[in-house]
Amino acid sequence: MQHALHISNLEFTYRSWKEEECDSLFSNLSLKLGEGSKTLLLAPFNKGKTTLAKIICGVCPKYFPGNLRGTISLFGRDLSTLEPWDLLTSCSYVSQNPQEQFVATSVEEELAFGLESLGLSRSEMKERIDAALGHWGLESLRTSSQQELSGGERKRVLLAVQEVLQARLWILDEAFDDLDQTWRDQLRKTIQESDNTILVLASRYLQEFSDLFDQVVLLDQKRIHTPAFDALLPRFSRLCGDDLPSPLDGQVLDSCKKHTLSCIDLQAQRKRLSTLQGQMFSLSVPNFHLDSGELVTLVGPNGSGKSSFSRLLCGLDDPISGAVCIDGQPFTSKELSKKVGYLFQNPDLQIFLPTVEEELSWSLKRRKDLKPEEMRSRVSECADLFGLKLGDTPTTMSYPLRKALQAAVYFLLDRPFYVLDELDSSLTYNSALSIIARLRQKGAGLLLITHDRQFARGIAQRGYGIGDGRMASL
Amino acid sequence: MTTSTFVAGNGWLYRFDPRAKILLMLLLCVWFFLPVHLVGLYVAVALIILTTACNTGFSHAWKTFRSILPMLLFMVLFMPFNVRDGQALVQFGSFTVVTKEGLLQAGRLAGRFIGISYVCTLLFATTIMNEVMLALRWYRLPYKAGLVVTLAFTYIPFIADSFSQIAESHRLREAEAEQGRRLLQRLKDLVPTLTSALVVALRSIPNLAMSLEMRGFGLSNRRSQYHNLASYRHPFTHFLLSAIIPVVLWLLCKA
Amino acid sequence: MQQNRNALKVAVVAVLTAVVVVFTMVVRIPTAKGYLNLCDVAICFIAFTFGPWSAFIAAGLGTALADLISGYAQWAPISFLVHGIEALLIALIVRQKGDKEASLIRKLLAGFVCIATVSLGYFALSSLFISTASVAAAEIPGNIAQSAVGFVLGLGVASAVKRAYPPVRSLAW
Repeated sequence: MQHALHISNLEFTYRSWKEEECDSLFSNLSLKLGEGSKTLLLAPFNKGKTTLAKIICGVCPKYFPGNLRGTISLFGRDLSTLEPWDLLTSCSYVSQNPQEQFVATSVEEELAFGLESLGLSRSEMKERIDAALGHWGLESLRTSSQQELSGGERKRVLLAVQEVLQARLWILDEAFDDLDQTWRDQLRKTIQESDNTILVLASRYLQEFSDLFDQVVLLDQKRIHTPAFDALLPRFSRLCGDDLPSPLDGQVLDSCKKHTLSCIDLQAQRKRLSTLQGQMFSLSVPNFHLDSGELVTLVGPNGSGKSSFSRLLCGLDDPISGAVCIDGQPFTSKELSKKVGYLFQNPDLQIFLPTVEEELSWSLKRRKDLKPEEMRSRVSECADLFGLKLGDTPTTMSYPLRKALQAAVYFLLDRPFYVLDELDSSLTYNSALSIIARLRQKGAGLLLITHDRQFARGIAQRGYGIGDGRMASL
Repeated sequence: MTTSTFVAGNGWLYRFDPRAKILLMLLLCVWFFLPVHLVGLYVAVALIILTTACNTGFSHAWKTFRSILPMLLFMVLFMPFNVRDGQALVQFGSFTVVTKEGLLQAGRLAGRFIGISYVCTLLFATTIMNEVMLALRWYRLPYKAGLVVTLAFTYIPFIADSFSQIAESHRLREAEAEQGRRLLQRLKDLVPTLTSALVVALRSIPNLAMSLEMRGFGLSNRRSQYHNLASYRHPFTHFLLSAIIPVVLWLLCKA
Repeated sequence: MQQNRNALKVAVVAVLTAVVVVFTMVVRIPTAKGYLNLCDVAICFIAFTFGPWSAFIAAGLGTALADLISGYAQWAPISFLVHGIEALLIALIVRQKGDKEASLIRKLLAGFVCIATVSLGYFALSSLFISTASVAAAEIPGNIAQSAVGFVLGLGVASAVKRAYPPVRSLAW
């Protein structure tokens, strides 16, 4: 029987943009997927899951320069002789980040694009598209553009695209993330009932997967391992560093002046970013406070108002009534932005300099009271603390390092309070906790926003929940 | 930031075949440059404005006028001073300031300006961009060119959103900004935001190319079309109308 | 086997066009005389970093689309020609083999060409197709200022981006 996917002795190293070579990502990696089988591949974030998926789809190293060795065959055809478009009916991929896969101005067009490439007739296209839209609950969003969709809806559009293309191998990268419970169940059902060969890459929400898969493999130390089932999950959590003591345990904070960030009866309004035009979104916060040195979490589903609240806290938006106070004194938005740091979910939003050293020094340079030697020592201390190399180019660093850089920049700004927006997405719990611990070192108060309730419960002393614009303490 | 030029409505122009509409628009624009007498010109302009009001609504017609008003006023103020010879209307001593010819020319150019603005606006307000692209492809616009335009429209909102987020992120990072910086300083402070915005945009290029190829761009077989213009059932009639209307206008208004 | 780079070329031009549109429409710096828009910054950046043809299409198409979306459809063909040629000429002047930096003389020449193309181009085409020479002449100072500022900023941003994001070299065609 022909294997759906047969990889042998795969080696891959990304091209380095500096003098030193990058570390190889895979070495002697082999993987076999039988036709019609369902496989789960576990690996912590940033260890090469996505790169492996892109290699299988034929787009790496074409678009992500690097050195590839080894043989890969898809349904009996050697990948090195094929271009990505030849694999349209063989292999389809749903990315972890839906944003990067959109090519059309509306959901309908998005589904039609691949079918048009195949040269299908209009009636056949219409049939497949209507079925997929119904299956994934996108009928009402048929003509919506990508910007009008929420994160979960975008994921569903990509899942619908995969369904419509009817490729023989499906690769889903962290597919269960971003989806609400109903749609996770739908995805489970789809995987269960499908005849296609399915490869799911995951590192989180593993309770969804218990009985779905024929084969579970682990990507560890650049190769694939197939441990016994009982040893699997423990080994995986060791890989993710879940068994390491939390960096927050027993952390002794530097003593400093204590402050309190609070608001009472805060009301705000924001234009809703959805297909329902003109509807205003109301946010009401009866009571909130955050002390220096505290770690407080805010949990809620997508669209509940978490980011609206954080924008109020850091002074990007103004409330309609009530005010955000520090130590009891109401602050204007301009003054708030000097006291509350906001780490956006996307760390690339503020990177613009060629080296880590310049990024870290930039904010310090604008303060006239620092001597150059003192600035340099602070910068290198900070880089050591966050595990960064001063000469690295930020834009080519890996995601966890860019997140650490973002945190390091704010660390040097010495704000008394920080709002961390979805810090734990795309990072192992351990990496996220290390960043939190370091920011907390100087006694700052932290508000962590997340939609992972389990994580929030485990780490915070206090929590708030938000739903539909109303916030309450948990 | 909205990239949509379409205004929902129900007039006859919405049911007009887009291919014929493009032809009509081009012919009308050419007509405005032909030597027609002034009264005829303004009658045509009035008719066009009336068509706009009937198809896309009075508020849209007014909005269009408002957007061209600054330029119009500018033209009206400066143009009459252009033509110096001719019958003088306003004189300061022996220095002619405004002539009859100048005023006439100003009137003609203003009329032309208003007319062409409304004609172009009408085309894009009554046709969704998708169908404009389909019509252009019917006119043999290469597929890749149409794809570039569609992709640009797909990415404009993403880049605009990133841009505002990046500006906010930089604003929060500096937060030491003093009020009333001089223009030079403001421009210099803009460089980090612009750099980050460009890097974010550039990063999306390999992903876009990858997605295009993964969805089959590059296959040698002929692409089919999901949307087409088959819903417009009278292309021939509409083309005939598009040709006839400008010709009739020309014959009626020849100077 | 010669790699088929069509998808990359299409992607580059599409994203750069979108960048030009956004820079033209979204960023407006209020000055004494009205608004300064940053389209020339984007255009000069593209001309310095990418090749002549991608610069031509992105600059021309981008400004034309921006005009269309803003309701100034009449200027669309004029903007296409003026900014397209501006980008094409700058890219041709500063093009170097490999990673060499263009000399100062070339940069000055490019700056001059940029300002001249924009101001004269708009002047000539506006006076022929939109209004008259006297009206079009009144816009010249504003165009000179905007393209000069755009060129200087574009130069600064181009070098910053090349240093901050080295992979951009592999995207240029």
